[in-house]
Amino acid sequence: MHKAFAASLLHQNDQVYSRIKGQSNDEKHTRFNVYRNNVFVSLIDALADIFPVTQQLVGDEFFRAMAREFVQNNLPSSPVISDYGQEFDAFIRGFTPADSVPFLADIAALEHQLLALTHTAEYPTLDHEQVSAAFSQVEDPSALRLSLPPNAHIVVTTFAIGSLYLAHKNQQHNIIATLTIDANEHLLLAKSDLYAELRVISPAESEFIKNLMEGKTLGDAIPDDDTFDLGSSLAKIIEWQLLTHIS
Amino acid sequence: MNLPFSVQKSQDATASSGFLSASGVSLKPAYYHDILNALPALGFFEIHAENYLSQGGPAKHYLHKIREHYDMTVHGVGLSIGGALPLDKSHLARVVQLVNDLQPAVFSEHLAWSTHDQGFFNDLLPVAYDKISLQRVCDHIDQLQNALQRPVLIENPSTYFEFTHSDFSEIDFITAMVKRSGCGLLLDINNVEVSCFNRQANPYDYLDAFPTHDVGQIHLAGHTLDQNPNVPLKIDSHDQAVCDQVWALYEHALTRMGDRPTLIERDGNLPSFEQLFAEAQQADQVRSRIKRGQPHA
Repeated sequence: MHKAFAASLLHQNDQVYSRIKGQSNDEKHTRFNVYRNNVFVSLIDALADIFPVTQQLVGDEFFRAMAREFVQNNLPSSPVISDYGQEFDAFIRGFTPADSVPFLADIAALEHQLLALTHTAEYPTLDHEQVSAAFSQVEDPSALRLSLPPNAHIVVTTFAIGSLYLAHKNQQHNIIATLTIDANEHLLLAKSDLYAELRVISPAESEFIKNLMEGKTLGDAIPDDDTFDLGSSLAKIIEWQLLTHIS
Repeated sequence: MNLPFSVQKSQDATASSGFLSASGVSLKPAYYHDILNALPALGFFEIHAENYLSQGGPAKHYLHKIREHYDMTVHGVGLSIGGALPLDKSHLARVVQLVNDLQPAVFSEHLAWSTHDQGFFNDLLPVAYDKISLQRVCDHIDQLQNALQRPVLIENPSTYFEFTHSDFSEIDFITAMVKRSGCGLLLDINNVEVSCFNRQANPYDYLDAFPTHDVGQIHLAGHTLDQNPNVPLKIDSHDQAVCDQVWALYEHALTRMGDRPTLIERDGNLPSFEQLFAEAQQADQVRSRIKRGQPHA
């Protein structure tokens, strides 16, 4: 019964109607449709919650039609709905009607990464005074190792999706209108208190942070790049409370 | 006092008098700050287990803050008790962890299925009332109760059709399920109204036949009416205030079985917290009358 029921739910066929009481096929259809509607509407709504910027970029109608097709072939693999949509960006890459927005799949992937990051555990980080204290205790700060939370990571993108994401999130329509989308970006994804936070950083800052994450000393982490400013980069990392410990 | 089933069996250090004495409401993220700022005089909050299984993030943070002040009940919406597939062991393990951390007054689930080969349908799909289903449901409840090390409550469903073949009526199925598995029941009065309307049955007859001795908790919620030309249907939408018919059925049920812990369930079209709180107080007024032996005031 479950097999026929599931097939009728997803593929709009009437396989299961012979098992349903009703005066007419129309009545059976109306009754069964409540379940169909619940499944599709609730999962499309869930995707709209998880991918708000993706939705804004293509509009509500387009998004819901695209999401419906995704839902039909990609039900959640677990009852934890906040995990849903991990394959949505791959689906969008193959969804021809969305070809005119070549960065749409990348935005979807970014949104899913951010939500997943929000749901990871928080790590205690050092405040400004604790960092100052650690630096003042040593003669040679360049030998220090600065540790970031293990759930922080850097993403290098093909399009300027970090700036686009932030502009949409903050409703900065003037930025959206003038943004050069066809440009690489380095994005730092880390938790700020309870929520994932996205920050667009320079390539030099990106290399510096990656070196710190790999366990290099402060001295060895400094990139060979004229544009790099150690003082301002450290100030940002401290302000963003990205250090879990200093040794 | 005629203590509800689940509480008699699951008494522990944290199942305090809050849950028993005053009604509760669904816990929604939109209310976290209202609750922590005002600490309203509610008996408990109910969460959907599946919304609180993360390692971190705001939901987990606020849940534990609110738990410091209130009793909790955990309502599973994804275990697929009526499913043809075995229970998802990794999901079950996460639910067990949550229940162990939170020590809720009650854990409840649904007489429904939601997972099949294609994945999770995110809806409570109807169980056929036949012998195969009964065995499957009871096996899954056994597995769940063993994993949680406590009896669970199973909720009567809202349904939109009946199957052509059944071995039992819904009431007989539920009664047999309780007898075989030792579970208790969560009586959802709105589901009674919705299901009885949709199959043109009398909800009072349903309540009079329901095995009320085993009811450990009650849900009250709102529904919507789908006025389509084929067959009008009531939809269990949880996005409206509790309606007068459901309040009347609630009073009838309590008159018959005595006081029971009660939840105002709300999932969509969220009202102000004050409005939800007022509905919980309305439930408390009915319960007070029942406790004083003065129904239908």
